Amino acid sequence: MEGERMIVSVSGGKGGTGKSTVAVNLAVLLSRGYDLVLVDLDVEDPNDHILLGVELENEEPVNIMLPFVDYDKCTKCGICGKVCDTGAMLISPDGLPYVIPRLCSGCRACLFACPTNAIVEGKRTIGYTYDTEVKLGDGFRLITGMLREGEEHTPPAVLAAKERALSTRAEIHLVDTSAGTSNSVATAIDGSRLVIAVTEPTPLGLHDLELILQLTQSMNIETWVVMNRAGLGPEDRHEKVVKEYGSEIVARIPYSRDVVESYVRGVPIVLSKYHSKEAEIFRDLVSKLMEVLG
Amino acid sequence: MEIAIASGKGGVGKSTLSAVIAITLARRGRDVIAVDADADAPNMHLIMGLERWEWEEPYKESMVAKIIQEKCIQCGECQRVCPYKAIYMDEEGFKVNSIICEGCLTCSLVCPVEGAIVREQAVSGVLRTTKTKYGFPLISARLNPGRPNSGKLVTEEKTKARELADKDTVIVVDSAAGIGCQVVSSLAGANMAVLVVEPTPASFNALKRVHKLTKHFMQPAAIVINKWDINPTLSEEIELFASRNNLDFLGKVPYDDSIPRSMALMAPVIEVFPDSPASRALLEIADRVNSILDDWMIWFLRFRPKKPEPYKPIILKPEGF
Repeated sequence: MEGERMIVSVSGGKGGTGKSTVAVNLAVLLSRGYDLVLVDLDVEDPNDHILLGVELENEEPVNIMLPFVDYDKCTKCGICGKVCDTGAMLISPDGLPYVIPRLCSGCRACLFACPTNAIVEGKRTIGYTYDTEVKLGDGFRLITGMLREGEEHTPPAVLAAKERALSTRAEIHLVDTSAGTSNSVATAIDGSRLVIAVTEPTPLGLHDLELILQLTQSMNIETWVVMNRAGLGPEDRHEKVVKEYGSEIVARIPYSRDVVESYVRGVPIVLSKYHSKEAEIFRDLVSKLMEVLG
Repeated sequence: MEIAIASGKGGVGKSTLSAVIAITLARRGRDVIAVDADADAPNMHLIMGLERWEWEEPYKESMVAKIIQEKCIQCGECQRVCPYKAIYMDEEGFKVNSIICEGCLTCSLVCPVEGAIVREQAVSGVLRTTKTKYGFPLISARLNPGRPNSGKLVTEEKTKARELADKDTVIVVDSAAGIGCQVVSSLAGANMAVLVVEPTPASFNALKRVHKLTKHFMQPAAIVINKWDINPTLSEEIELFASRNNLDFLGKVPYDDSIPRSMALMAPVIEVFPDSPASRALLEIADRVNSILDDWMIWFLRFRPKKPEPYKPIILKPEGF
């Protein structure tokens, strides 16, 4: 995913620290100077559109491969069952393979392993991507990935939404990730010029911040830390960890009812309360970001 | 008996509520096992102030592919078929990004050179347990950063809990955020789902998504509204949603900084600020759970989903099937 397009990701480890709040406010401000796409890759729980007050548009299915067995060609060799990593290819006592769609990850291992070409490609829809026009700031597009309820396999939905976003060829791709540090998050932030890790001054925030810093360090991605709900508790241990990983705390957003209210109302605070302290903090953060973005 | 606490959205109070329910049930004389099923960001031990584990075991389930450079003929087939885009090229040749690789080994099946792509075991995390000072054990797990979001690890935690449990034990499962494999594994087999929601549009939306999962499982579910007073109107709407969808309403917790302050102290809020408004509301909710458990069958019959809504995959068949 190299090229002149630049990816900046907002992540943070713990859920509910304010990733999406930071992402939508940055998107609104950055849209004024750049051709920007906001990419919501929290496919299990995407909510940037809710914070921006827009309805998702231009739905496209995310299809992954689903194997079908041509029993006329099947020789009951059982290789498909052996290479299947997820237990989706069940070999019955009579030696015939059966597919359990819900378990299949669509990896195609069975397809390539079958010596008699008895596996045929079908498809299964595991989620959707959306391309929505947002008229806030100077306007930008929001690309969203959404996993269907009941589906468990997130990386293909993350990848599909990311590819749809990259195909827009916008200058800046601002990615909002899910909580956690799984390979879904790694897939989301892969190729980023910078990760902004949003945390909070609690031991829980600290614990999960360290995990995300481990992840970005191993992926060799520069990381900035935003302390949300500043003032809620001591930050000395956060500062120590941030330093250890060669990162820095670039912004502190104090806990306030204003942020909560803007969250409830579906209008980013940089628009709803232009003169608030929080809006000013976001503007400062954007100035700092622009030095990196050019 | 198993209770799973879920929310869809992260950071709305699952772990706080789970800890309070587990501690309260134990105080009321029940045999309890707590399971922290958020292996991506495990936090229950921090809420309970635990600093060491009595027992730890590496979890080695996951596999990653490795390309042997000396054997690679640079054909690029592996990169072409990788469903996760985990194969990249640098000046030395094709490499596997082990932080993204899911270990399906599809690459090794298309590689024309025998032995050029091998399977390597990756230590993907740790499974651990310890006795809490409340007398019951906590089973927890932590996935290493970048490992597949393993529902299997959650299943393993639950298996461990079930081995330790006898017939009257209550297993309290604190699930991860989202609706993916860890959450599905957390809900699977639970006798009661407790869904935590904040009165924000984002959290309400996530609640509806996780509620679909409990309907897939034909599970009776109950709702707890956290920080209800940050938006009383939406809070009322959520209560209405609960009653329309036959979800039990266990209660609502006011916004109260005793909860974040208790987190900083690494102690459950009901212990360090027992008289705070949030603690009182949480305790009342935990006691309601306790009384439901006395007559679980009656509660189950009343609140199980009336219509089955099983998961149906959307399948596009190939021609001729």
